[in-house]
Amino acid sequence: MTDQEIIEHWQDQDAPLLPVLHAIHDRDDYLSDDAIRVVSKGLRIPLAELFATVTFYHHFSRSKPGKSAPRVCTGNVCCLNGGKEILESLKSEDATPMPCSGRCDDMVPVLRGDQVFVGATAETLEHRPSPLPAPNPGNIDECIFRHIRAPKRHTLPGYQATGGYGGLKSAVASTPAALIDLITESKLAGRGGAGFPTGVKWKAVADAPGDPKSIVCNADEGEPGCFKDRAIMEHDPHALIEGMVLAAYATGSQRGFIYLRYEYPEIQGILQTAIDEANTANILGDNILGKDGFNFHLRIIRGAGAYICGEEGSLLNSMEGKHPFPRNRPPFPVTHGFEDLPTVVNNVETLASASQISRKGAEWYRRLGLDDHAGTKVISLSGDIQRPGNYEVPFGLPLQTLLNDWAGGPLEGRTIQAVTMAGLSGGFLAGDDLQVTLDEPCIRSNGSFLGAGGIIVLDDRRDMVSAAHEAMSFFAHESCGKCFPCRIGTQRLTERLNDGANLEFAAWQDEINDIGSVMKATSACGLGMAAPLVTESLLRYFPDAIEQHLSHPK
Amino acid sequence: MSNPLRDMEHPDLIFCIGTNMTECHPVAATRLKKAIAKGAKMIVADPREIHLAKLADLHLPIRVGSDVALLLAMAHVIAREGLIDREFIDARTADSEEFLSHVKDFTPEWASEICEVPAADIEKAGLWFGEGSPSAIFYTLGITEHICGVDNVQSLCNLALMTGNLGIEGGGINPMRGQNNIQGAGDCGAVPNNFPGFQPCGDPASAEKFSKAYGIDIEANPGITKVTALDLCGKENGIHAILIDGENTVVTDPDMNHCRNALQSLDHLVVIDLFLTETAQLADIVFPATGFAETDGVQTNTERRVQRLRAAVPAVGESKPDWWIIAQIAQRMGTPGFEFESAKEVFNELCSLSPIYEGLDWDRIENSEYQWPVPDKDHSGTPRLHEKEFKNGRGLFKIIGYRDPAEIIDDEYPVWLTTGRRLQSYHSRTQTGRSSGIDYLLSEETLEVNPDDAKAWNLEDGEFVKMASRRGEIQIKVRVTEQSPKGTVFASFSFASVPVNVLTGGGYDPVTQTAELKVCPVRISKL
Amino acid sequence: MNQIADNTRICTMTLDGDDVKFCEGETIYEVAERHSKEVPTLCYDPRLEAFGACRLCVVEVEGIRNPVASCTTKATEGMIVRTKNDTLDKHRTTLLEMVASENRNNTVDELAGYASQELGNLLKRYPVLPGRFAGKKSGNSNTDDLNPFILRDYDNCISCYRCVRVCAEQEGDHAINVMNRGFDTQITTEFGNDLRDSSCTFCGQCVATCPTGALTDKKAIRAKDTPGEVKKTRSVCIYCGVGCSIDILTKGDRVVGIQPAMDGPANEGALCVKGQYAFDFVHHPDRLTKPLIRQKDGTFREAEWDEALQKAAEGFLKVREKHGNHATYGIASGRAPHEAAYSMQKFIRAGYGTNYIDNCSRA
Repeated sequence: MTDQEIIEHWQDQDAPLLPVLHAIHDRDDYLSDDAIRVVSKGLRIPLAELFATVTFYHHFSRSKPGKSAPRVCTGNVCCLNGGKEILESLKSEDATPMPCSGRCDDMVPVLRGDQVFVGATAETLEHRPSPLPAPNPGNIDECIFRHIRAPKRHTLPGYQATGGYGGLKSAVASTPAALIDLITESKLAGRGGAGFPTGVKWKAVADAPGDPKSIVCNADEGEPGCFKDRAIMEHDPHALIEGMVLAAYATGSQRGFIYLRYEYPEIQGILQTAIDEANTANILGDNILGKDGFNFHLRIIRGAGAYICGEEGSLLNSMEGKHPFPRNRPPFPVTHGFEDLPTVVNNVETLASASQISRKGAEWYRRLGLDDHAGTKVISLSGDIQRPGNYEVPFGLPLQTLLNDWAGGPLEGRTIQAVTMAGLSGGFLAGDDLQVTLDEPCIRSNGSFLGAGGIIVLDDRRDMVSAAHEAMSFFAHESCGKCFPCRIGTQRLTERLNDGANLEFAAWQDEINDIGSVMKATSACGLGMAAPLVTESLLRYFPDAIEQHLSHPK
Repeated sequence: MSNPLRDMEHPDLIFCIGTNMTECHPVAATRLKKAIAKGAKMIVADPREIHLAKLADLHLPIRVGSDVALLLAMAHVIAREGLIDREFIDARTADSEEFLSHVKDFTPEWASEICEVPAADIEKAGLWFGEGSPSAIFYTLGITEHICGVDNVQSLCNLALMTGNLGIEGGGINPMRGQNNIQGAGDCGAVPNNFPGFQPCGDPASAEKFSKAYGIDIEANPGITKVTALDLCGKENGIHAILIDGENTVVTDPDMNHCRNALQSLDHLVVIDLFLTETAQLADIVFPATGFAETDGVQTNTERRVQRLRAAVPAVGESKPDWWIIAQIAQRMGTPGFEFESAKEVFNELCSLSPIYEGLDWDRIENSEYQWPVPDKDHSGTPRLHEKEFKNGRGLFKIIGYRDPAEIIDDEYPVWLTTGRRLQSYHSRTQTGRSSGIDYLLSEETLEVNPDDAKAWNLEDGEFVKMASRRGEIQIKVRVTEQSPKGTVFASFSFASVPVNVLTGGGYDPVTQTAELKVCPVRISKL
Repeated sequence: MNQIADNTRICTMTLDGDDVKFCEGETIYEVAERHSKEVPTLCYDPRLEAFGACRLCVVEVEGIRNPVASCTTKATEGMIVRTKNDTLDKHRTTLLEMVASENRNNTVDELAGYASQELGNLLKRYPVLPGRFAGKKSGNSNTDDLNPFILRDYDNCISCYRCVRVCAEQEGDHAINVMNRGFDTQITTEFGNDLRDSSCTFCGQCVATCPTGALTDKKAIRAKDTPGEVKKTRSVCIYCGVGCSIDILTKGDRVVGIQPAMDGPANEGALCVKGQYAFDFVHHPDRLTKPLIRQKDGTFREAEWDEALQKAAEGFLKVREKHGNHATYGIASGRAPHEAAYSMQKFIRAGYGTNYIDNCSRA
C-alpha cells in the first residue's frame, strides 16, 4: 500500500497513529523522514511532535536494516542465560538488544521481524510456541489456568467446550448492574499490580457521563520477569475476549482495544483470529448474542516498545497518538480515559478472571484464596530455579512452597540468595524475608510488593550489586523523562551501582537514601516510585556487597 | 476591531479573508491558533496557500479581487438555509428585506465562475458561517486594497449583520490594523475627512469647535486624500509644499515613478524621519526624529487600546521628537497654539478635544487598561463595540454588486500579481533591514511562482526574470512554491532593490482612494 | 484572565493552618501563589497547561500518603494543605541538587532571557550542597545552529518542556519537541534540523520561558560584558498594530535587548521575530543625527537646528504666499506616536484652515 492508502485506511478509525506507523514500518523496514512527514500531514500531527513520539519507542527503526534486524533479549533473566553472548554472535546481522521481552520461562528470545525465535545460542534458535503453564503442582483449584491446557483451547470450539462464553450468555440475560455486583462480590482486583477493585472500577465507568465508553485491555506486559499475560493470550485468547465483552456489557461500552506489547507478534495473530471467530459468532459486533443495542467492537493496537506504556495514562496517550507520558491524576480514566471519555483499563489476567467468575460465581472465586485472601494470582517465576514458568497460586501461599515444592527449588548445589518481587519493581527479598506468603499485605509489610507477580530467583552465584545495576539500568532506559525525580534519579542510581561515583560508603548511602526518598515521595508515576526499592532493598540485605563494590569499583 | 484581541480565542467559527495574519500580525494569530486548538473551525479565503490556510478546515483559494462574489454567495446560502438571526435583524438593522431579496440571485454556482473555487466549498463556507455561534470575521489589506475595498468591507458587514455576530464575545468584524499607530493616526485626526476623535470635517459644528480651539477658520468640508494630493503636485492650483512625517512614500506607495515625479515637482518638501529614506532623499530639508526607545508618547493598537511608549535611552545625536520639530516649524511660521513643552501636553490637548478620549489623560493610561471610546473620567473603556446599539442607530445593509478589478489579465499581461508582506520584514525595511540577524532569515525579495506555472513558463527556481505591468518593469528572482496558486504570482515591496510598487497602482477605490495593490496584471519574461 | 464568572463556586480550604477561600477549579498552586506561599517551581509558567514535571511544587495534603504536585492538583472543599515543612524542604533541596547535577553551569547572565534566573535563584534559596549527585550531564548543546537569535545551549537544559509547551500552546508553531526519552531526552526540532529549517518563526517565546538560560537571547547576551546595570523600561512594540507590551533592556545609553511583558494586555508574553529581535536599528550608523539642508548642487549638508527650522518655515511661508492655503499638504505617520499625528494635523488645520492632511493608511 502507498503512504496515502495507509493513511486513508486508518485516518477515520479510532487510535490511528500506531497502526499507520506500523504499516509503514512493516512495509519499509524503517520510518524514513519522508514517511514521518507524510504521516504528520495526513493525521494532522505537528511534525516535531510526531518525531518526538516516534523516537520515544524502542522498536521503531529510523534507518535500515530496521525492523528485520534481530533484536535480542538482554533482560535480567536472559543475561543470566546467555542473552549478551547471542547478541554478540548476531552483530554481523546488525542485531540490537531489547529489554526483557516476556519469555523468561524459555530460552533467550530473539525477535526477527514478526517472529520470536528462542535458543540458548545463536546457532540453536528455533521458532516455537511459548511454554504452557505446567499442571498445577499443588493440585489446587485454578481460575485462570483452569482449562488453559485443554487441546485446541485457543479456538472458539475449544473454548466453548468447557463452558466458554457461558458466563457472558447468563450475564446478558440479566442486568449490567447484576454483573457489576457479581464482580464486586468476588473481590476481584487489578492483577496488573495496582490491585484496584474491579467491580468498583466497572461501576464508576457505568455511572460516568459521556459516550462512547471504552474497554482497554492493558496487554503491554513490560515488567521484566513477567510473562503471564503472554501465556493467557497465546493459549486462552477467548478468556480475555469474554472478559472484555463482560466489561463492555457491565459498563455500556462500545469500543474495545487490546494494547498489545510489540514483543508478542505471534499473539497478535492469535488474538486477531479469535476476534474474527467471535465476530462471526456474534459474540462481538452489533446486537451481541441477540441483545438489542449491545454493540461492542474490539481491535488490537500494537505497542512499539515502551515499558511506560504499561502505565495506564501513558497507554491511553499512546493510543491517542500523543507523546506517551503518564497523565496527571486526577482525573482518572474511569471518567477521562480514551479520548477523555469514560474508560475501563484492565489487565489481561483481571479480564480473563472475570470470565471464569461470571461462570462459576463470586463465592467460588473468593474461596480460592487461602485464609482471608480472595482469589488467585498468576506468578511468573524465572531465574535460578529448577522449573521456571507461570504458576497460578492462591493468595496467601508461602513463597517457599512455590519455590521448593512447586518449582523444584534451586539448581543443583545452589542456594537461593534473593528473589525479586513485582518483576523488578518490588526490589529484592532475601534472608528471613523469603518466608513471606504471596499476598500484598504480607509482602508490603516487608518493604516490597507483589505487583504483577513476576519473581526472579537469584542464587548464591550472583553478584547482587550487578543484579541491582541491571535492574536500575532498565528503569533508567525506560524512564519517560517527564518528571525530574525519575529522569535524574534512575540515572544517578544506575551510575552509583555501576562505578560507585567515587563515593565512600557513608556518602554513597546518604545519596542513595536521599534520591530514593525523593523518588518515592514525589515521582509522577509508579516507575519512579518503585525503582528505588531496588537500592533500598540492596542496602537492607547486602550492605557488605556494597562496601565491597565501592572499594573495588568496576 | 469591533472586539478585543482576547475575543479571538472564543469564536466558534473563524472567517479570515484577505489577512495573512501569521506573518503580518503574528501575535494576534496565536490567539486564533488557541481557538482552533480548543475546537473552533476556520475558513480562510485567500488566493495563496498561506500558513493560515494550512491551519484552516476550509481554504478557498479565490481569484484575486473576487471577494465580493464570494461574500454575496455566502450571504445567499445563509439566507436560503434560514440561518439569519431574525431577532437581531429586526431589533438592530435596517434595509434587510431589500438585501435579502438582492442576494437571492447570487448562487454559489454563479460565484464559483468568478472566484474559481468549487461551488460546494462556497456553499460549505456559507453554511459554516451561518451556523457558527459565534462567527467572527478577520480581515486586513487583502480586503481594502482593491478598487472595491469599500464594497468588500460592506459585504463583510452584511454577513455579520444578517447573522447577528456583532457586539458579542468571540464575534465581530475585525480589521487588523497594519502599523503600530495607524489606528492612532486616525484617532488623532490625521485624515482629510475627520477631526480628532472622528468628528467629521463636513460637520459645521465640528469645524466650528476646532476653529475656535485653534483660533483660525477651518473649512467645514473634507480635504483631499494623499493620492489626490500626489496627483496634484506641481500642478497649477495644485500642491507645492508637503510636510512628511515618518513615511517612505516613494517605496510603499503604488506607482513609484509617478510618486517620485510628484515629490520632485514640489517647491518645498520637508521630511522628518530616522533615516535618509528614499523619500527623504528627495527633500529640501530633512529633520532627524527620535524613534523607538527614545520617545515618550502614546499609541493605539488595533483593538483601540491606548498605550504609553516610553523613552529608555537618550536620543541619538541631535534627534528630536516629531511633535517638537513640527511645533518648532509652526511657531516659526507664526501659527499659534504650538507652545508645547512635553509629549504629555500634546496628548492632553488631544484628549480635551476628542470625545472618544475625553475620559483619558496622560496619567490615566499608565497601565494600558483603556480601550476607546472612554467618554468620561468614570468610564472604564469599551473593549467591545456595538454591544447594545450602533453608534449611528441601526446597522444598515448595503446593496453591493460584483465588479472586476481595475485591470484584468489579457494576452499582453496574462498573470495576476498580488502583493503583500512577509513575517521577517517590516514595510520598506528601514528598521528591520537595519537590525542584525534579520537577513539570516530573509535576505532578498523573490517572486513566488506555482510549480506548474514555472514549468509552463520554462522558469527555474532562483532564476531572475523581468516582470512588467502597464506602468513599468522590474527584475526579480523566482522562487517556485506551492504557496502561489496557478496563474497568480506574489511578491512583497520590502526590498528597495526590487521595487514592486513600480508595477502597481492600476486603480483606486472611488470612496477611500486606497490603491488596488492586491491586483496587478503582469507579464513575466526571461531575461 | 482572572475574571470570576457569576456561577463559580467559592470554597474554603486550610492552607498552612489558615482558612482561605478559593474558586472551584483553581489548583492548589494557584491558591498558594495568591497567598504568597513561595512554592518553588521550575516547569511552571502560568500561561501554560500545568505539566507536573519538576515536582518542586509538591505539598502535603491531609489524607493523601505522598505529597502531591500542587500545580496539577485542583483544590477541593475542606482540603488541608501544608506548603512548607522540613520534609518538603528536604525533598525540594534534594531535587534541586539533582537538577543542578545535570547542568554544566547554573549561573547565567540575566540578559540570557526573561526567566533565566529561576534555577539560579532557587539554588540560592535552598541549602543546596554543590557537587552532590555528580554524574553524567544531560543535554547536548546545539552550537552548530548558526541562527543569530537563539543560542541552544542544551548543556544547561533541565527538560522542563517549557520551551516545547510554549511553542505549542502559546505560539501554536509546534516547531520544537524532544527526541528520545528519560535522561537522554533532548530538545530538538524534527529530525534534529536547525531552527531555520523547522517551523520556528523566531518569536523568542522559548527563550523567554527558559528557566536556566539553556535557550539564550543571542542578541542581548552580546552586551553581557558591557559595564552597568540592566535597566528595564516598559513600552510598546512599534511594528504591527497588535500593540504588544515589551520591556526595553538598556545598559547605559544603549538598547541591548527586548523582553516580552508577561502582563501585556495585547500579547500576554508573546512577541514575534520583529518585536523581539529587530531593535538595534536604534543605534544604526545610518541614523540621522543632525538636520540636513539640500544645497544648490543637490547634495545635503548638515545644519544646526535653528537654521534648518527657519528654512523649513520660510519654505512653507513662501508657498503659502505664492499659492495660498490649498497648496500645502501634510502626510502623517502611522508609525509615529499620537503626539506626532496630532501635531501634524494641527500644523495643517491651525496653520492653513484646510483639511489637507492624511496618513499612510491608504498604502
